[in-house]
Amino acid sequence: MTRSIFLAILIAAIVMNVLSSCKEDAFSPNQTEEMSIQSLANGAIYRIKIALPDNYNSSRESYGSVYVLDGEENFDLVAKTCKEISTDHSTPNVLVVSIGYGKDRSVDYTPTKVGADTGGGAEFLNFIRTQIIPQVEQHYRADTTRASRTILGHSYGGLFGACVFAVDNSLFGNYILLSPSIWFDNEVSLELEVQNRSTNKKNHQLVFLGIGEMENAGRMQAPFQTFYEILRDTYPDINVTMNREKYLDHMGSRDPNIIKGLNYYFQNR
Amino acid sequence: MNHSKNLLILLSFLSCSVGFAQKDSSVRPVIHSPVRILTVEPGVGIHTNFGTDLLLATLVQWNPGKRLSFGAHTSFNINNITQRKFNHVITDYNYSINQKFGVGTTFYSKKSSHTFMAMVGAKYTAYQETLANPDFNKVSTSISSLSPDYGLMYGLKKGWNRYFLSFRMYIPLFPWPTHGSNINYLDGNMNNLALELGLGIKLK
Repeated sequence: MTRSIFLAILIAAIVMNVLSSCKEDAFSPNQTEEMSIQSLANGAIYRIKIALPDNYNSSRESYGSVYVLDGEENFDLVAKTCKEISTDHSTPNVLVVSIGYGKDRSVDYTPTKVGADTGGGAEFLNFIRTQIIPQVEQHYRADTTRASRTILGHSYGGLFGACVFAVDNSLFGNYILLSPSIWFDNEVSLELEVQNRSTNKKNHQLVFLGIGEMENAGRMQAPFQTFYEILRDTYPDINVTMNREKYLDHMGSRDPNIIKGLNYYFQNR
Repeated sequence: MNHSKNLLILLSFLSCSVGFAQKDSSVRPVIHSPVRILTVEPGVGIHTNFGTDLLLATLVQWNPGKRLSFGAHTSFNINNITQRKFNHVITDYNYSINQKFGVGTTFYSKKSSHTFMAMVGAKYTAYQETLANPDFNKVSTSISSLSPDYGLMYGLKKGWNRYFLSFRMYIPLFPWPTHGSNINYLDGNMNNLALELGLGIKLK
């Protein structure tokens, strides 16, 4: 009996491994460059990748930039999608900047310390503000205005994006926040938004919020809805939309929402 | 690409099932066990997000021939049963109803039988969450969703009496699984892989 159950579970593991090992081809544009930057705040080294538009070398124009959190996972899809959208709509492409992992993502992406592996968000934001963005804008023809910068994050990355929206709204004008963990630390990101609302309301905002319909673990939906309603109802100069991806859960909804979020950005920037 | 993936999964599944059959027949070449024509197998289960969903399920299996099996599987799932309040987020209700029908084959051994079926059906899920943080207005979100549900089911029946032990495992193939950054993090279909244990009753 025990052996049969063990065998059954082994079969399941084999099947699931086959399923999950089927990955899409990596994006390999002609113009992808890489650099490593050591954070002055925490000493960790972050791998930064930049996808350049096809006509980057032959043109003289400046480009918008999309900063991608969890870059090791999301960069290929974001770069590929940006290229497709810009080609399909004959609109200028963007620089896609992948921010890889330096420290544990749960440290870097969370605003407050509620356990051993959380609470490094302020340091990480400072690293982006004072090191990554200046290096990118110094070495590449990136438009240096707030309105041309976008941040894209999923899960804790989405939470980090929501916190950047709240505490340093002058850095990015566009936010693609996917399944953001607004629930974190008793919705501290919503409190940060309230604290800085009067200043942030003066800026134009573009925000895409995405989530999966089947994210039903009792923490995602209600805080997400609250954040959306706050943005929609209290910001006079905002383009905000939200998408609930049918049938899909936390990880399953990530890629479809990346594609929809980038489409929303290109159409409304 | 998707067709080849599906074919690969089917082949893996079938090769495993053949493996079961070959193992059993090599040890016990003569099969004495009768074919049970009709069984009903109520049980309880969990998803592989261990401990957070409770499944109340039953399988009715009809074997018109020795190698041909039909099944009807029904389950009522109380989702997220152990964590109804978290960081001011209250789960008001959260359940799923699944109904699937399947066809497959059964292999017999002296003390047990192994059934492999491809299942197709539908799943209805409904839940509501409320954010009751005293610093903000109360906001509720309710979701109801009807979705396809198809996948592969393995059933083990242990014992040849009127009452027997029944174990089932269901691997959903909709929606397609997605990888996360943490290989230990179960998500997508892996979260909904169902393990059920119950008492089977031979009706015929």
